[in-house]
Amino acid sequence: MDYLVGLLLLVLTTAVINNFVFHFFVGICPYIGVSRRLDTALGMGLAVTFVMAVAAALSWGITYALLRPDAPLALAVCRLFAPGTASVDLSVLKYLVYIFLIASAVQFVEMYLRKVFPPLYKAFGVFLPLITTNCCILFACLEIGSDRRMSGGAEAWDLAQALAYAVAAGLGFTLAIVIMAGIREELDHADVPQALRGPAIVLIIAGILAMAFLGFAGVDAGVARLFGR
Amino acid sequence: MLVMMMLAAAALLVLALVSGAVLGWANRAFHVEVDPRIEAIAGVLPGANCGGCGFIGCGDYAAAVVNQGAPVNKCTVGGASCAAAVARIMGVEAKESWPARPVVHCRATLEDRLLRAEYRGEQTCAAANVVSGVQGCTYGCLGLGDCARACSYGALRIVRGLAEVDYEKCVGCGACARACPRHILTMVPFKAERMVVIACSNRDFGKDVRNVCKVGCLGCKACEKAMGSLFKVVDNLPRIDYEAYSGDPDVAPALQKCPSKTIVRVGKPSPRDLEATRDQKVPGEIPPDPRSSVDRTSWRG
Repeated sequence: MDYLVGLLLLVLTTAVINNFVFHFFVGICPYIGVSRRLDTALGMGLAVTFVMAVAAALSWGITYALLRPDAPLALAVCRLFAPGTASVDLSVLKYLVYIFLIASAVQFVEMYLRKVFPPLYKAFGVFLPLITTNCCILFACLEIGSDRRMSGGAEAWDLAQALAYAVAAGLGFTLAIVIMAGIREELDHADVPQALRGPAIVLIIAGILAMAFLGFAGVDAGVARLFGR
Repeated sequence: MLVMMMLAAAALLVLALVSGAVLGWANRAFHVEVDPRIEAIAGVLPGANCGGCGFIGCGDYAAAVVNQGAPVNKCTVGGASCAAAVARIMGVEAKESWPARPVVHCRATLEDRLLRAEYRGEQTCAAANVVSGVQGCTYGCLGLGDCARACSYGALRIVRGLAEVDYEKCVGCGACARACPRHILTMVPFKAERMVVIACSNRDFGKDVRNVCKVGCLGCKACEKAMGSLFKVVDNLPRIDYEAYSGDPDVAPALQKCPSKTIVRVGKPSPRDLEATRDQKVPGEIPPDPRSSVDRTSWRG
């Protein structure tokens, strides 16, 4: 029960309070580029959620086994060649490995969808390959693979929590981009000063939205109290 | 230290090999048969993904040509050579394609439009169009410039309350025609540098048109009687069949008969026109008059 409440709080915190777009300002390029229309924005958000979940599972596994300090697999291989090795740390490889993982995962998912779910593949269209270079996926992987999430302390995550984090982050991104697309569709009818047209006004609106989302700060504490934590 | 470095390199190598193998296997296992013609057509299309053909992008258009039998001459960017290349791949004859350019089907400037009321609402055509009584003519140009704002190429401007197209700058993307709430701007296939068009959109009877406009078409059918091959009056408004249109037809008989001079030529000026106006003094270009955006955006209600 306590575990489930923790999961719920994690989802709430990640999706709304520490929203990737409004709190961390990652994933801004698709946020500005694909928020022109509501349906494409929703498509992009769901594609990001999907890829982020896949990438999170993969990166959690690799980090757990290989990349974190004193990872079992790395230690075993090391001891095979240099018996008596006390500790091993491959953390420096994180960026490289994660980018590599994301790119291959996206490629794989694309091929799989094309064969098995052609309608979904058509719906995702150009967004899936675009996500390969999306920084919010890398951000999620880095957070999941960070030392405090991996070192076995109080803040450490298991696979389920990492997955919940990724899905919640993706849904938060979807929420943010859909809100922005709705605003931008209405913005077409507004008389925006020439100098502010396009990305400029979008960034300003994103800033106002971020301030509005500040209002969610503290909600997690309230929910935690609700469950008696 | 050396072991660590070796381990790092080995880890990356193994990772690369594994994902390479997985992707290679997936490529074969999940192989989808694609008509090779689709890729060939996508190759000869410009790849601008402009959507001018009416499909989402060049890839979508290529698929539509092969699977749904879409016309091969839809690409306005690639033009005739592109249409010919696509036709060669599909093994069909290419019909010649013409660049589409917007035409303003209204020639009434502010002083020609009667029964105008002061309009203080949002200064866009889309907003003014839903308010009744802005001006007498419910078909004519509102002159608030939605088309000019929609144009990314600066090819439209509002002169004395009427939209004007600069055909030197226009690329034919059709954004203005989509923006116009009254559909006064339509895309016409420009089969010549200058085209004969109907500069009125009012479908009412002549008397009602006269009540609201000094220059509107009366629907008198004089043009149809003079040149029935070119003009056809439907709903009190002459239509030109651009499918049958060719070259630069001599519309003098119809022009002479037209009481309200609704039949006009638009497009780039012909050498003859330039010759005729060579001695006339043309007013110089008026320099831009920059103003604070506040002037235009401030609420005036």
